Amino acid sequence: MDRRSFLLAAGAAGAAAASGAGFWRWLEIPAAVRAPGRELGHLLRNPGAAPAPRAHYETDVVILGSGAAGLAAAWRLAKLGHTRFIVVAGPEPNGNLSSGIAGEVRYPTGAHYLPLPSRESAHVREMLQEFGLILDGAQSERPYYDERCVVHAPESRVLIDGLWHDGVLPADALPAEARSEHQRFFAQVDQLARARGSDGRRAFAMPIVESSADSQWRALDSMNFAAWLDREGYRSTALRWYLDYACRDDYGRACSEVSAYAGLHYFASRAGEATNAERGAVLTWPEGLGALARHLAQSAGLSLNATDARSTMRLLDGAAISLREIPGGVQALCASLAGGGLETYAVKARRAICAMPLQVAAHVVGNLHELGFDAREHLPAQAPWLIGNFVLSGFPKERPGAALAWDNIVLGSTSLGYVVSTHQDIRVGPPQRTVFTAYHALSEMSPRQAREWLMRAPPAELLERASIDLRAAYGWKLAACCERAEITLRGHAMAVPTPGYLSNRGLLALRETDGRILFAHGDLSGYSVFEESTWWGDRCARRICSV
Amino acid sequence: MIDRILILSVFIVASCGLAYELIAGALSSYLLGDSVLQFSSVIGCYLFAMGVGSHLSRYVRDDDVLARFVDIELLVGLLGGVSATLLFLTFSWLAAPFRATLYALVFAIGVLVGMEIPLVMRALNARSAKFSDLVAKVLTFDYLGALAVSLLFPLVLAPRLGLARTGLLFGMLNVAVGLWTVWVFRSSLAKPAAQVLRGAVVFALLGAGFLASDRLVTWAEKGLFGDEIIHAVTTPYQRLVITRWQDDTRLYINGNLQFSSRDEHRYHEALVHPALESAPWAQNVLILGGGDGLALREVLKYQNVKSVTLVDLDAEMTRLFSTSAPLTALNRAAFGDPRVTVVNQDAAQWIEHSERMFDVAIADFPDPSSFALGKLYSVPFYRLLAKRVAANGYVVVQSTSPYFAPQAYWSIVKTLEEAGFRTWPYHAYVPSFGEWGFVLASTRGAFAPPQHYRIQMRFLDAEVTRGMFAFAPDMPRPPVEANRLNNQSLVHYFEQDWHRVIR
Ligand SMILES: Cc1cc2nc3c(=O)[nH]c(=O)nc-3n(C[C@H](O)[C@H](O)[C@H](O)COP(=O)(O)OP(=O)(O)OC[C@H]3O[C@@H](n4cnc5c(N)ncnc54)[C@H](O)[C@@H]3O)c2cc1C
Repeated sequence: MDRRSFLLAAGAAGAAAASGAGFWRWLEIPAAVRAPGRELGHLLRNPGAAPAPRAHYETDVVILGSGAAGLAAAWRLAKLGHTRFIVVAGPEPNGNLSSGIAGEVRYPTGAHYLPLPSRESAHVREMLQEFGLILDGAQSERPYYDERCVVHAPESRVLIDGLWHDGVLPADALPAEARSEHQRFFAQVDQLARARGSDGRRAFAMPIVESSADSQWRALDSMNFAAWLDREGYRSTALRWYLDYACRDDYGRACSEVSAYAGLHYFASRAGEATNAERGAVLTWPEGLGALARHLAQSAGLSLNATDARSTMRLLDGAAISLREIPGGVQALCASLAGGGLETYAVKARRAICAMPLQVAAHVVGNLHELGFDAREHLPAQAPWLIGNFVLSGFPKERPGAALAWDNIVLGSTSLGYVVSTHQDIRVGPPQRTVFTAYHALSEMSPRQAREWLMRAPPAELLERASIDLRAAYGWKLAACCERAEITLRGHAMAVPTPGYLSNRGLLALRETDGRILFAHGDLSGYSVFEESTWWGDRCARRICSV
Repeated sequence: MIDRILILSVFIVASCGLAYELIAGALSSYLLGDSVLQFSSVIGCYLFAMGVGSHLSRYVRDDDVLARFVDIELLVGLLGGVSATLLFLTFSWLAAPFRATLYALVFAIGVLVGMEIPLVMRALNARSAKFSDLVAKVLTFDYLGALAVSLLFPLVLAPRLGLARTGLLFGMLNVAVGLWTVWVFRSSLAKPAAQVLRGAVVFALLGAGFLASDRLVTWAEKGLFGDEIIHAVTTPYQRLVITRWQDDTRLYINGNLQFSSRDEHRYHEALVHPALESAPWAQNVLILGGGDGLALREVLKYQNVKSVTLVDLDAEMTRLFSTSAPLTALNRAAFGDPRVTVVNQDAAQWIEHSERMFDVAIADFPDPSSFALGKLYSVPFYRLLAKRVAANGYVVVQSTSPYFAPQAYWSIVKTLEEAGFRTWPYHAYVPSFGEWGFVLASTRGAFAPPQHYRIQMRFLDAEVTRGMFAFAPDMPRPPVEANRLNNQSLVHYFEQDWHRVIR
């Protein structure tokens, strides 16, 4: 401990002792709670009389939503030389790629990593190359990455009975029969990763539409993952916990609620390799995938405070409250709460890319059912998430065992562990500040119960749930170095790939629409990852430019 | 009047009581780390002991109250006064368990302090009238005393006087209260003279301790380091201790030897001159780390060098080595040279954002003993470095021992090669470290070990230089991987290598 902080501690302890009971108060974490999109959601459900539009914009393409899909659409349009488009940011710029900053430290409030993209995710590799993150061989078997964004060692560790172990399934900490089951499972998954269907495509590819249509694999979509594991004789508690963890981590729900196809897709689709990283490595940045959002927006020439009035590529603050077809094009009516009160503006365009969640589109797009999508029947189940960012003014004292890793998980926990935002820093001394980001998919409740709980739970209760794993790891030592916490509630965070998701007719219909209104959102894939969202955005832009 | 005196003594007694508690808490968190744990356990133990003391106070007979109060003041003054010094000495010199001593002391002081207020209340109660007034007054001054010290301690006393002397000072205050009480109540005490005598002895003892405490602390640290300490500071980043024994000055960072003035010239000549002698056109030189200014001293010997940028995280370190006389004698006041620019920033972060170009860069970082430090020897870090150095310029890297840590050493060589450098590994014998390794590297330039030097040197000549670039058969190059951030093989190599050497 350095002298300055011990003097501070002495001062704090002295003042606290003088005030008697104040000492324990010192260990409280101040928390701020945000629920992006909640206000807009309620506005859409109770559409009062919106004021008349104050401004009118005309453009060629309007992109409604600035998440991964919307940004990818803008990026591709700009790359294809299309310069007349407007992006309406929506209630949360960057959507689930959003991030925050504390002092100099950036941290994710949504997505945080990207597996090495497989060859099917050519669009992602193309982005990474453009952003200087792949240095060589972007579309080759093993591209050469900028190692600064390949997760640095140690990548992960797991807390078992008060002791940290390297990796997520440490062989030395598990009984022998569990080990042999793990080996069997990973061997089977390895085989599936290489398997191809009768149409020559990979059985499990990402984006999912590039996967084989062979019924041999599609049949897996008729049962849940837990049932499949039972059938295949996987019973080890540790393995089952880990697979459950994986499902909750990627899909927000447990094995028993997720399609067996999706459960296997998680493992078998990630076949990306690198010349200069191990198989299975992932890419990450301090602010998580927020870094990619920044690159995409920059490359597409977007910025919220664009001062260049002549620019025909714009990013507008606000959200669409209705989108309809008009002769010769579309008109979007958008609302903004920026000035304090509610203001509206209209955007006329030749075509629209609807890059908002389908949940929202169901309220905004007038003729959705005419396009083959019936919200009551086709809307995928939505998993609610709770994200806690803990801003720390130092590193809390660790329990014995493996050193702090990028991803830190607790065996047997209902939560999903925490990542360290300064993990990728290269520095001589420790940073002054760091942010630990804890993820929690509320899979211990039904999605509806969880959303109700999110609506009424007081901050202290949210904080408690967001810090389950951090408290298991550090106890009260966490609070002693925690400046504050930011809690993000995502009631409709991601679509859950429940059994049957591959044949959701509504989704299949929206994927193919090619009229005035096109759709681009991760929801179209039935599950939520960066590669899928950007794939849809990319494809819409290509369709519009007919390439 | 008498009331007021007693009330004033409550104020002082309360201040002293809190001061001992803070000192014990601060000292234990300083020595053991984990301040919250140390503070809360010390405070807990102390408050509990005070409760015990309050309970025990009922066994003091009514007519003995004042006499016992005086005894307690003297005892608290003695125990509390020497507590910090005693703990410090225990920690560094004695095998006695530090924690046991700590809690025993805290408990004993707590019991005594716990008896004070009840006794004062009883003394006052016997004299003044209204109980409600009395309780209100005594407790008000009790808490006021606590407030005063809680502010004075962290802001003035601990930084100015240090913990040992703060303790002694409060001890003297306690004794003074005792003596004063004896004086004021001399008529109602049985043996005032004996008490005055005892008080005077204790006071003298504490006073002597106060004057000598600096020497005591130095002596205590000497127990840790063996030699006399001429400087010791705790910076926000590390603890720097500089020791001297006869003509040998040494720097320890967090207890690890950084250099010994007896042979540092070997290390720094080897680090700097092969590269600088071979780059007579070099004007701009970069030193990463090296806040002791010793590599800087060597670089500045070249007239062709027009500017040297030294990036070291720790401002306290560069300040110390640019102001302290015995240290500037070592680095020949290198920091005073107008060609030098010091940047107190994290070197790795700085280089990521710097736009300047250099002809020679010297990386003198701590060994790759952790995942955090291992990154300073990685492919992407060397790529960053390559961008800042002229294509035919040189990079020199201190790279642990090729003899004791061969895998680690050659992994650094491999890493530089992977980052696009050609390398010329070499090594030198530095008695206090053993056989030590360096790597000279360049992206485009060629290199041959210098045949002669323009600078007069103590260690290097053509012969020795040739030897440095040759590796004996017992130092072969093992097949090792480059250090990629994704697996950080270097950290594993380093651990394995040194594990074999240090039993
Ligand atoms: C907690 C969490 C962690 C995740 N971690 C990862 C990960 O590590 N790796 C990974 O690959 N994926 C991860 N994901 C998934 C990934 O974040 C998503 O797949 C992706 O960001 C979704 O992008 P999108 O554009 O499809 O949708 P969204 O992110 O939902 O974007 C929707 C956009 O539409 C806007 N919008 C909403 N309503 C309107 C309206 N009425 N008008 C206009 N605009 C509107 C919103 O403001 C937003 O900008 C994670 C998701 C969550 C929730």
